[in-house]
Parts: sequence; structure tokens; C-alpha cells
Amino acid sequence: MDLSLNEKRLIKVLEPHKKYDPATLAAKMGTSAESVIQFSMLLAGRGLVHVEKEVHTTYALTDEGSRYAREGLPERQLLQSFEGRIPMADLTKHPLSRVGIGQMRKKGWVTIRDGMVEKTGQEMISEEERALREPECEGKGVSLLVKRGLLIEQQETRYLISLTPDGEAIAKKGLDLEAEIGTLTREQIIGGSWKDLPLRRYSLGTLPRKIYPGKIHPYQRILDEMRQTLLEMGFAEIYGGLVQSSFWNFDALFQPQDHPAREMQDTFFLKETVPVPPGFERVRDMHLHGGTTSSTGWGGDWRVEKAEQCVLRTHTTSLSIQHLVSHPEPPVKVFCIGRVYRRESIDSTHLAEFEQLEGIVMDKDVTFRHLLGFLKEFYGRMGFEGVRFRPGYFPYTEPSVEPEVFVDGLGWVEMGGAGVFREEVRAPWGVKHPVLAWGLGVSRVAMLRLGLKDLRQLYRTDIDFVRETSSWRPAHRASGRK
Amino acid sequence: MAVITLYYRYLERLVGVDKETILARLPMLGSDIERVEEDHVDVEFFPSRPDLFSVEGVARAMKGFLGVEKGLPAYHVKPSGISFSVDPGLASIRPYLGTAVIRGISLDEEAILSLMGLQEALHWALGRGRSKVAIGIHDLDHVTPPFRYIAEERTRSFVPLDYDREMTMEEILDTHPKGRAYADIVKDFPRFPLIVDACNQVLSFPPIINGELTRVTGESRNLLLDTTGTDERAVMTAVNILCTALADAGGQIESVEVDGGFIPTLAPTTRLVSSRECSSLLGVDFTPEELSALLERMRYSAEPVSDDKVRVTIPCYRADIMHDWDIFEDAAIAFGYENFRAEISPTFTIGKAHTVMTIASAVRSLGSGLGYQEVIPFTLTSERVMHSKMQRPLPAGTLTVLHPINEENTMVRTGILPLLIETLQFNRHRELPQRLFAVGDVVQDLTTYQKASFVSLHPAADFSEAYAVADALCRELSIPYTAGESGDQAFIQGRRGNLLVNGSVAGTFGEIHPAVLNAFELEHPVAAVEIDLRVVPGYPSGLGTP
Repeated sequence: MDLSLNEKRLIKVLEPHKKYDPATLAAKMGTSAESVIQFSMLLAGRGLVHVEKEVHTTYALTDEGSRYAREGLPERQLLQSFEGRIPMADLTKHPLSRVGIGQMRKKGWVTIRDGMVEKTGQEMISEEERALREPECEGKGVSLLVKRGLLIEQQETRYLISLTPDGEAIAKKGLDLEAEIGTLTREQIIGGSWKDLPLRRYSLGTLPRKIYPGKIHPYQRILDEMRQTLLEMGFAEIYGGLVQSSFWNFDALFQPQDHPAREMQDTFFLKETVPVPPGFERVRDMHLHGGTTSSTGWGGDWRVEKAEQCVLRTHTTSLSIQHLVSHPEPPVKVFCIGRVYRRESIDSTHLAEFEQLEGIVMDKDVTFRHLLGFLKEFYGRMGFEGVRFRPGYFPYTEPSVEPEVFVDGLGWVEMGGAGVFREEVRAPWGVKHPVLAWGLGVSRVAMLRLGLKDLRQLYRTDIDFVRETSSWRPAHRASGRK
Repeated sequence: MAVITLYYRYLERLVGVDKETILARLPMLGSDIERVEEDHVDVEFFPSRPDLFSVEGVARAMKGFLGVEKGLPAYHVKPSGISFSVDPGLASIRPYLGTAVIRGISLDEEAILSLMGLQEALHWALGRGRSKVAIGIHDLDHVTPPFRYIAEERTRSFVPLDYDREMTMEEILDTHPKGRAYADIVKDFPRFPLIVDACNQVLSFPPIINGELTRVTGESRNLLLDTTGTDERAVMTAVNILCTALADAGGQIESVEVDGGFIPTLAPTTRLVSSRECSSLLGVDFTPEELSALLERMRYSAEPVSDDKVRVTIPCYRADIMHDWDIFEDAAIAFGYENFRAEISPTFTIGKAHTVMTIASAVRSLGSGLGYQEVIPFTLTSERVMHSKMQRPLPAGTLTVLHPINEENTMVRTGILPLLIETLQFNRHRELPQRLFAVGDVVQDLTTYQKASFVSLHPAADFSEAYAVADALCRELSIPYTAGESGDQAFIQGRRGNLLVNGSVAGTFGEIHPAVLNAFELEHPVAAVEIDLRVVPGYPSGLGTP
């Protein structure tokens, strides 16, 4: 049996067949009576000592009680203040009359009739008076006095501690009183003394202190998982500026200059401008009349000044098109996960900035069917097995498609947009092969995966959310079925 | 996006198919069902298809899609004998006029609602809020042809719709609800556009309001349409979409003579497209015959003319067909997106992470190794958080947005530290210690680059902690630095330092100034580090500038 040092010391001071009170033991052990009780309880739990618990009640007079013990109870004093009979009106002038009259009457010492108080002659010593003299002998008088607030009851628990037969057996065998070791020291470890040391045992029942490791944000973890997926699928990552010219953000993507997205209520415009790049004329012509393609273009006006104005990028497609311009030869497979901006009123499902994931594939002979293939593969790897495709519309893709994934409890959820770049987008830059492109609002995936109700929680971090969200979560948790 | 209300009764009558069948297939035609109600459904259509902004237009497309009626819908236009003149004075104001006469119409309540919804949606999608195109529909029987579209004195008066007294056009702009809403389009012109009849009665003050005189009701049988605007193509598209919808609603379309020409013609256009090009775009082999059959279901007329080419006749209401691929998308929709076999292309490429992102990942693993928790603050912030509360001057090259949504989002962050301190403020009731870091984009002088920032809040946080973290980061990221005196007011004097790399400041560290702590309602010391990641060896140069 593993006993703590304190438990052993207690057994040591207990002689067989003797009962001890804690104070005596405490003096012997050089500790407090409370500690002795605590150790005794532990030993009692192991069946080595017997703890008798006695509750003693004592009574003490209150201040008022001691006064009456000297001078007599109010009813006795009142009774002695008159002879025979007295008008009630006179008796009430006595300072003790308020308590005394009722008590005299209750005890049958007086009768009250027609305003006169008259002694009955039955004036025996009451139980209260007896108790007042000897409070120790308990009884009815004592409890009456307690009720009247003249006595107070005090309870005292006394312990008597003795060895059980098992305890005696252990004591007989002798106990090693060497101190137990908590933390091992360097000397104990390298010197070998650990072999003989009593090592304190710790309780599994005591829960550990909660510590929070440093960690990557749960949302970033999802973004990293997406990056990893795309890298595994052979995509190269691209990165670029948050600030783009309207030319690269809109015009190069064949968004007409009077398109609603280009109005100040939808996009964050900046006062800064940057010159349009060489070759902008081909983009202008594409807008005006379709350039050298079978397109009619948008017609109307196309102004360089409008193309020069800077914006906070509304999509990362502005980076994709610039990458294509500098890499016009196939094959190209690139992706980007970056912050994009929309001038939206902020609420639980709309933010002015959020992450977008974008991927493009440019190669000889790639088709719309391949686009659907890449989408299905990516969503599948993100844990969304049920994927379907619906027609969509984006100014720079044709055909356009809106992928949807199936989420248990929500049904089909729209998951971004995709399409094949229009010829009007790639022709100005000599890109001769089809470009498959897709964009995904990744914060939506994060909300589904993390079970969030409010998009703002991703960015305006409650650190308890980070602390309490497990680092490793099975990927298929929020996903749907086919 | 345009949300169109489709009443089942009217829709079923026009399509000849029950509403369940229609609703099941509608999304695969290219729409989002917003709300399904007892007697109607609200559906959102793409802005590229304004011809679907009416029940009549949707019914026409659904009939083809469901195979009830295929091919090009026929629209016959008779001359009305009515003429309309355009005042040359409008050339610099609102030059283009489109028009038509619709006879023998009988509009029930649902048809009137559909027409009003169409007009509204066209104003938005095609008309760009009436500036590019505005539409007026009139009861023809209350006015006398010929009509004139003129540039009139601003003080000319007439009784506008919904009023019972004459008002001058200037007064309308000031007091009529529609006048106030659209005043910006015309208010700077010396004269205003006006449409009048032979007796000089006012039909309309485009693009603001019609006259009460020609109000359309359920009793109206003959209509006059006007579309005015600044873009001829859009003006004519609006006429075509309205006339075909009204013809489907039972009207006879008649043309009007405008300065020698006749409007509308409702004539289709043609394109000669390649079935091979279509096949290689979609990844499914279609013969010219197969392609033609698909297109007929999308209400084109299509005829194979060789072993490759198909002559496609495009209905006049299709404003979105700019390129052959627009037609191929329709073939894909007719084929059914659900019928494509999704398959990855054999394109061989090797994946590669971007160095900037690889460095950011390294910082993240360092941050968590140091016991810090990552946060991802917004990049839009305010001068108050970035500068006044931080006791720092506004750095040169700070990017402010022109039309911020609110006072909290006026500029793009130039650093991340203030946002981390703000995050500590949001979390001031949470358990200590709090050690947070963030890595991400900042913008200065239009250039986007990455910074990393670390904060540690607890009763014993001090300069030494900040210095130790800064040193550890630099060592781990192979940044050769020296520490120099810093003048950064966000930190306590004598408890702050700059990280100097090749003689220039690449970062700051130290103990945050108590006045800054007060400004962010923090009650314990904060040790902080911020570093410009461009000094990490291997960070690519020349990035992030537009």
C-alpha cells in the first residue's frame, strides 16, 4: 500500500488500542489539528484508522441571558413588583411589562380580568428559571431560552482517532519515514539515487491545467489545405498586388466600361491612376467592335482614363489575366488565393473583403468538359462529393457555369463561378488556346467547415474560438454526399 | 440581378405545361429560384438575358427548352402609317429614339404586372438606371399622330402621371418622386427631351415620367411605345424585347416611320458557325445536324450548310449574342450541363508554391512554435486605429479609398501591428496571457507586400520579451539585422528598437506605450514586434505594383 509520508507519520504516533484527539496528535507530529484530521480521513479511506466523530452541543448565555440570570427573568421581576392585584394600566408602566405580562399569564401566575391583573398564587419556579441556572442539563427550559434568545447553542465536533487492526499490523511492520520526491533533481537522475527514492504518485483524478498551444488560425488551415490540394494537382501559385488598374481588373476581362460593377457603389475606387500597358489598343478595339474576332464588341465608348483608374481588386482574375499575358504559351496551370474587395454593406454574410481562390488552366485542346472535371476533382478533395453544375453568367467567360455542392442540412449550395475565357479576353494577347477559369469564395467553405454563422468571426477573431477549435479536424465533417 | 415575378397561371397558359415541370427545369436554363409562393415564383435571371425579364420571354424560352415549340419564333410587323420625328437639337441631349405601335392588345392584371416588371428590369439592366435607355408605354387612342420627339423649354408644363395638375418640367424634377429620382440624368441640359403629339399634347418627358393623358389601363387596346437613350444598340434592343413580349401577349406589332426609316423590324440576324469549333470548346462531338437540333431548342433557327458549318438565325431579342461562343453556350445549355462527362485534362504541369506564400508559411510555423496564436485581421481599417490611437503619424503613401462604406474602413493598412492591438482590445475579457500574430498583405505607395506582426499581452510582458522574439524571428528567417534606436511613438521611449537590415529600417519592436494601451482599453503591458518580410532573403522583388 502506498502511503504518503504524512500518513505514515500519523500511524507512527498512534499507539494500539488508544484513542487520540487531533490536538494531541498535532502536537506530537508538529502539524495542525486540521491536517491531522485530513490525514486521518485519508487513512480511514484505506481502512487503517478509525475516526470517531462526536458532535457536542454546549450552551452559553447571551448578554441578555446573563443579566436575567443575575436579576431574574422579566416575568419574575414583574410579578414581584406588586402585591395581590394591580390595574393593567399601572402594570404596563413597568419597563419589563412588554415581555413580562404575557409570560406571567402563560405560566398561570396571574389572571387578567376587567383591566385588573391578579396573582393566582401558583408561582412555582419555571423550567426556564431552572435552565437559566443550569444550562448544561438541557431539556424543555433550555430550548425555550434558546427561542427567547437568552441562550445560544454551540456545536463542536470532536474526533477520536485510533488504529484499526489493519493499521496496527502496518505499524508493527515498521514504516519508512523517508521524504517522498516530487520533481527529480539532476543529481538524483545522474547519480542513480532515483533507484531508492520514494517517488510521489500523482492522482489521475486531478484534472490537468488547460494550456493553449500556439497555432495557425483554423481559417488559414483551410486555406493551406486548399493550397496543398492545388499544388498536388500540379498548379503553380501566383501572387500579386491588392491594387490593380481598372484596365487589368475590368477592361482586360472584357467588362464594359458602363458595367454596373464598375460604378462607385460596388467597387472601391482609388484616386491613383496608372498608365495602361502597351497593347491596350487591342483591348480597346475588342470592346468597341470585337477586334479581329467574330465578336461584335460592346460598342459605345471606351475611354483610356477610365481604364487607368486604380481599384482594390474585385477578383484575383486580374492576376490570372496578367499571368497569361506574360505566359501566352501552353500549358499554364496556376492558382491564387488572395484577398478581394467589394463595396458591400457589412453584415453576417457580406463583407467588404474576403478571400477568393482562383485557378486557370490553359492548354491545347482543353474543353468545357475538362473545366467541369477540374471543379469536380477540387471540390471532391475538399470533401464535397456531391457536385452539380448550372448555367451561369460572367462577362469574361463563355460558357459560364455555377458549381454547386451538396451539404447535409442545407441542400445545394452555390460555390463560386467558372467558365472558359471568352475569345475577346485572350485574343488581344496572342493566347491561342482555351483558358479554363474558376473562382471560389473560400470563406463560404470555411463557414461550412467551421460551423460559423457569421463571416466576420473569421477576421475579427475571438481568441477563444482559435483556442477551442481543434487543429486537426476530419476533412469530411461538413461535407455532403452524392 | 433582375428578379422577375412569374405568375403560374399566366406562365402555364403561355407554355402549355404544368408549373412543376417548368420549375424543375428553370434552373438548368440559367436562373436562380429565389422564392416559391402559392401563386407565383420569384426568379433571378442573368443581366445578359434581358429577354427573360418577362413571363412572356421565359415562356418562349421554356417552350423550346422543354421541346414544346422549337425554332425561331415568328414576329410579323405591319406598317402603322404613323410617323415620329426626332428634333436634331436632341443630338447632344438624348439622341436615339426607338418606337412601335401595338394593336389589339388586351392586358389582364397579370399581363400588366409582367409588362411593368419587364419595363423596370430593362431600365436597370439595359438602361443603366434609365440613363442609357428609358421606356415609355402609352395608350395610343388618347393622342393623335404624328408624334414628335423634341428638345423643349424647361418651363413647358403638362400633367405628369399620378398627378391631377399641370407642372413645369423643372417643377417635376424638384417635386415629383420620379423627377427627384432621375433628375441627375437631365438636369444640366439647357432644354429637356419631350414627346408630343400632333396637337402638341405631352406623352412623355423621357427619361423621367409619362403624361397622365396616355396612362395604360386594362381597357387600353392600342399602345405606342417609346424608348429613348444615349446608346442606339441598347435603345433598339429594348424595343425588340418589349415588342416580342407584347406580341406573345397577343398584340399585333406595327412599325413607325422615324425620319425615313421604319422601326421596329424585329428582323433576326444570322451567323455562320462551325460545329467543329463548338465541339472542341465543349469537349463533346456534335455534327452540324446535332448542333442545329440543340440550337432549335434554344429558339434559334439553325440549318447545316456543310459538314462543318451551321447557319444560325438569331431572334431579334437576343442582345447577348456577340460572338459564336455565345451560341455554343446555348448549345451546351440545351445539351444539359448535367449530361457532360466531367473529366480532368491530361495537361501535365508541376505544382509550385509561390515564394511569398512559402515565407508566410514559415512565419506561421515560427509563430505557433513561439506559442503565438494566429489571427487574420481585415486589411481595410481607419486612420484612427492605424495612426491616432497608435500615436504615429500617417505615413506617406497611405492608400485611402474614395467612397468608404463607413468610418472604420477608410484606408488600406500599412502595417498589421495596430490591427493586432485592436484584436487584443476585442479580447480583453479573455484569459491571459494572450500572444497573437498575423502575417499578410499591406499596401504602401500602391505596392502590396507582406508584413508579420507579433504581440504578447500579460502582466510580465516587457521590452526583453519583444527583443527576444524579434531576435528569434530574424535568426530563424536568416535576416542579418542590427538593432538601432527607434523613435516610434507607439512604444515607450528607452524600451523600443528598430530592426536594421542593410542600413534601413525593416521592423520595430519594444514595449507598447501606456497611452496606446489606454487608447485600446488594455490593462497590461504589451510586447510587440513588426517586420517587413521583404528583407527575408529570397523574397521576390518587383512584385505587387500595378
